[in-house]
Amino acid sequence: MARKTSKGRQKIQMTKMSKESNLLVTFSKRRSGLFKKASELCTLCGVEIVIIVFSPGHKVFSFGHPNVESIINRFLTRNPTSSSSTTCQLVEAHRNANVRELNTQLTGILNQLEFEKKREVEIEKIKKAKIGKNWWEGPVNELGLGELEQLKLGMEDLKKNVTKQMQKIIFEASNTPAFFLGGSSSNRGQVDAKNIKGLGLSMATNGPTSFP
Amino acid sequence: MTRKKVKLAYITNDSSRKATFKKRKKGLMKKVSELSTLCGIDACAIIYSPYDNSPEVWPNIMGAQHVLSEFKRMPEMEQSKKMVNQESFMKQRIAKASEQLKKQSKENREKEMTEVMYQALAGKGLQNLNLGDLNDLSWVIDQNMKGIYKRIEAIKKGASTSSSSAAAAPQVAAERKPAVTGLGLEGMQRTQAEWFNDWMNNNTSEQQLGFGHGNEMIITNFNNNHNANVWPNDFFP
Repeated sequence: MARKTSKGRQKIQMTKMSKESNLLVTFSKRRSGLFKKASELCTLCGVEIVIIVFSPGHKVFSFGHPNVESIINRFLTRNPTSSSSTTCQLVEAHRNANVRELNTQLTGILNQLEFEKKREVEIEKIKKAKIGKNWWEGPVNELGLGELEQLKLGMEDLKKNVTKQMQKIIFEASNTPAFFLGGSSSNRGQVDAKNIKGLGLSMATNGPTSFP
Repeated sequence: MTRKKVKLAYITNDSSRKATFKKRKKGLMKKVSELSTLCGIDACAIIYSPYDNSPEVWPNIMGAQHVLSEFKRMPEMEQSKKMVNQESFMKQRIAKASEQLKKQSKENREKEMTEVMYQALAGKGLQNLNLGDLNDLSWVIDQNMKGIYKRIEAIKKGASTSSSSAAAAPQVAAERKPAVTGLGLEGMQRTQAEWFNDWMNNNTSEQQLGFGHGNEMIITNFNNNHNANVWPNDFFP
C-alpha cells in the first residue's frame, strides 16, 4: 500500500482559520496533541493540571490530573494546598502506580508499532529489489484468461499442499508423547523442547493449542 | 534544540525535572493559545506545581474563571462526556495504538505471506514453514483465489455477451505468448510444463529449497506469538 505523503510541516498564520473543514480537523488534531503534552507533563514532572477546551461545535473537552473537578475546586476556592491526609496519599500513590503501569504498557505498544512500521519499509525494499517478477505476480486484471485458468489450478494445488503439510506437522506433533504435558520442566525436556520449538507453537507462552 | 527521546517516567533528578517543567509548561501554554486562536474557541489551562504557590494560568485568572463558569453552566452529562484524567486518557491512547498495531501487523504479515505464495508457485518447498506460517499462507491463497475466480467470471461473462470481446481475450493472451493458439491453455502448458511439474511433486525431501537464497526472506521467528494466528480457522479458532 503506497503511503501518500502530505506537504509536511508548514508555518501557518496565527489567526482564526478561514476554511471550516480545515478548522475542524485542526481542532481535533491539536486538541489531541495538547492533551498528550499535558499528560506527559504530569508524568514527567508530577504536577497537577486541568485544561478545558470548547470545541467549534460547542462541546467541551477537559483533561485533568488527578481529576478535573478537584483542580477546578482548588482553583475556585483559592485553596493553597491540596489535602494531604493519609488516605489521600494512599489513593494518590495507588493512582500513580496505575499510571506508571499504563505508561509502560503504552510505551511497549508504541515500540512494537514503530518496529512494524520499519518492517513494512524493509518488506517494500526487498520487493523492489527483486530481479524480474514472475508473470503471476502481476495484477489479476492484466492477465489473460488462459493465464488465469492456469494460475487458478496452480493455486488450488498449492492450497492442497499447504493443507497436507499442516496435517503432517500436526500428526507428527501428536505422536510426540511430551506434547500433551503442557510444560517443559521435565528431565526429558531437552529433546521434547526442541521438537516443540520446531513446531513453532510457542507453548511456553501460549499454552497448548487444542486440536480436533 | 535537542531531540533525544525522553523516557515517559517521573524525572528523579530535581534540577532536570525543574528545567523540563519550565520548558514544557511554556510550550503547553503556547499550544493552548494557538488552539484558541486558530480555531476561535474558548479554553483555559491551570497548572499547580511544587515550584510555585500560585498556579500558572492561561489566559489569565479572569479569563480562566470565565471559561470555568461557562464549563459549570453546562449540564453534568455534557461536562463528563469528554472528560478525561491521566488514566482514562492513557487507556484511550493504548486502545488506539493497539488498533494501529494490529492493522499494521496484519498488513505486513499479508505482504510477507504473499511473497511466500509467489515463491511457492515458482516451486519452492513448504518445509521451512511452521504451522502459523502455513495457516496464514492458506488464508492469503484463499484471498487471491477469490480475486482470480471473480476475474475469470467477469471475462467469461464479457465474452458471452458480445463476440467482439471474445476475440479480444485470446488476442491479449497471444500478445504475451506468441506460441499460443485459441485461448492459449495448451500452448502455455507446453512452455511451462516444467513449472507445473515442479510443485506437483514438491513434497519430496530432495527439494530442500529453503527460503532466502540470498534474498533475505523475512520469515523470522521473532515474536511468533502475535504473528501466527492472525487469521482464525479450524486449527486456530
